[in-house]
Amino acid sequence: MHRLLALWTKEWLALARDVHGLAVLFVMPAAFIAIMSLALSDVFKDESARQTDFAVLAADDSTLAERLARRLEGDGFRAAPAPVDEAAARAGARQGKPGLVLLVPREFERGLREPPDRTNPSQALTLLADPALPPAQLAVFQHRVLGMALGLRVSAAARIPGFAFEPGAFDLKRAATLSIEVVGNSRAGRPSSVQQNVPAWLIFGMFFVVMPISSLFIVERREGTIARLASQQVPFSLLLLGKVVPYFVINLGQVVLMLLAGRTLVPWLGGEMLALPARWDLLAAVAASTSLAAISWGLLVAVCARTMEQATVIGGVGNILAAAIGGIMVPRFVMADTMQAWVDLSPMAWALDGFHAVLLRQGDAADVAAPCLKLLLLAAVLLATALWSHRRRRMRNPAP
Amino acid sequence: MGMLNVEALSFRYPGSTEAVLDGVTLVIPDGGIFGLLGPNGAGKTTLISVLAGQLHGATGRIAVSGEPLDSVRRRRPHSLGLVPQECAFYPMLTCLENLRFFGGVQGLHGVRLRQRVESVAGFARIEGVLERRAGQLSGGLKRRLNLAIGLLTEPDMLLLDEPTVGVDPQSRAFLLDSIRSLRGKGRIILYTSHYMEEVQAICDGVAIIDRGQVLVSGQLAEVLLDGSGLLTLRLRAPLPDALAADWRTRYALREEGVARYTLRVPSATAAAQAIEAAHVAGCEPVAISYGQRDLEQLFMQLTNRSLRD
Repeated sequence: MHRLLALWTKEWLALARDVHGLAVLFVMPAAFIAIMSLALSDVFKDESARQTDFAVLAADDSTLAERLARRLEGDGFRAAPAPVDEAAARAGARQGKPGLVLLVPREFERGLREPPDRTNPSQALTLLADPALPPAQLAVFQHRVLGMALGLRVSAAARIPGFAFEPGAFDLKRAATLSIEVVGNSRAGRPSSVQQNVPAWLIFGMFFVVMPISSLFIVERREGTIARLASQQVPFSLLLLGKVVPYFVINLGQVVLMLLAGRTLVPWLGGEMLALPARWDLLAAVAASTSLAAISWGLLVAVCARTMEQATVIGGVGNILAAAIGGIMVPRFVMADTMQAWVDLSPMAWALDGFHAVLLRQGDAADVAAPCLKLLLLAAVLLATALWSHRRRRMRNPAP
Repeated sequence: MGMLNVEALSFRYPGSTEAVLDGVTLVIPDGGIFGLLGPNGAGKTTLISVLAGQLHGATGRIAVSGEPLDSVRRRRPHSLGLVPQECAFYPMLTCLENLRFFGGVQGLHGVRLRQRVESVAGFARIEGVLERRAGQLSGGLKRRLNLAIGLLTEPDMLLLDEPTVGVDPQSRAFLLDSIRSLRGKGRIILYTSHYMEEVQAICDGVAIIDRGQVLVSGQLAEVLLDGSGLLTLRLRAPLPDALAADWRTRYALREEGVARYTLRVPSATAAAQAIEAAHVAGCEPVAISYGQRDLEQLFMQLTNRSLRD
């Protein structure tokens, strides 16, 4: 334990003296959060050209669901297969697959023939929405549903002999009772720019530990300290463990500070305030998994890169590419469909899924399990590759 | 600690056909300083790396008093100290932080760590710069810190790999004095260098290594004894042409510099006659050596190359 303490202390001291490295880790994500939250706020408000999947689940029969889906389809909304039941619909919406589910009550068609009545259960439509869905898009779909209901109401009325028009009978707002439920978010908070950007740039910043990890490691290798430690019978695995804990603490510090930035800095600059999660334990689990994946990536780059320039290119450019693909720089829903197929290749996207499950969807353990497992598996593979690569190199060169 | 025996040690890097160490056999007694002399690329650092456990896959046997070195190190992990050729410490940390780190990572802590840090800092005379960043030290002070780190655990076996490279003469003299003072107390000290003057100045035993092979090994005085009738002369003035031509024929005269010569004379009498002849020719001898050679001459005899080539 004393040996590990010595390694941790050394790592802290070296980090504390790398002012630029620390600035990258803390100032950069905070700056991105502030800038991008403000810059993209309109994009989040005025959602336009993209395909959003929706489904219709009718309590009466599936043909009604299909008919309604056909009416709602188009202008950026694409019909998805109807879920088997309401539970499946909720589970799907929680994960954004599909992003919207319209629940149609029993005898809905009969209810349309009756005057608008908020207490009439057959007129009560429910729209389940993915919390990550931009609010503008939700509003568009909401009006689309009301428009469809109004159309059906007019058609039904026209078929009733001697139907007398009452004032307000065909008011769009009263066409049906439409309640919107953002699934998984007990506070019914809709996603905002800041809720997209805080986790996104936080992840980006966390992965940037690759820079200080690799630069210090390259200094250690260049100065011969790693070879010296090997001669002092310090196992390489212990050396790596000595790096994991300090950077893990740094990453957790980033999480705290970036959440604070979302709560204070962004509102102070005129943006919206970040909504905090209900389950801090799940947030910790996602943050820890992301941190371990980021640190392991840093260790692999450190072991493989021969020069500082290589580390900068592999680590820095690798991070930027992963961020670009993974929905960090350009949110996933803004991307074209073809590009969205690539998103899940990026570990940053896995981390973002995890953070969104906690921060946006107020999800439970099952919602964060998959992203966390993927990140932990990646961490294990990267770490094992780093150890293997080090052993291989050490066989070839006395100064590892 | 006993004697370090290296027997038929060979090593080649994976993928290479050439052996970096080719059947190296050495006997290194404790209580003294054993010099390993050889030109750059001779295999000195590789040998040190194998001994220090940095390189694996060597064939042959390494034992301390009959016990395999690996076993000794498993039993006493910090019995070996390495002072590498590079200044292997953290430039961004202070000297004190470096000493504490390298002590801590080898299991020292508490009072013992403090005592050892004070002790090695005093030994290397770096007490005055303990709070300075290691990267800001002069070359000589860096070397002293490098040495101090290697002594933290009071190792019984100390491997010094060219510890004076790149320092000024004053620091070199200090380092050599310090290293000389480490001999004794049952400690095995292996000192590699390509500076023959250093090895000649501080080592009790010596081995010359070239292209991975030991060319000669033994006590320094024995190794430097010369039975081949080598006479080395430094004269006040160059030899006249006639005398030089005569000696070239009779004594295989070689010019080693301005008014510096080596001759092969058949006997001590012939040596005396040659000295007298030089005196008569007006070239009074300033320095004379007979029956003893220096390491440079020995290396040249063994390889027909200069140590500095």
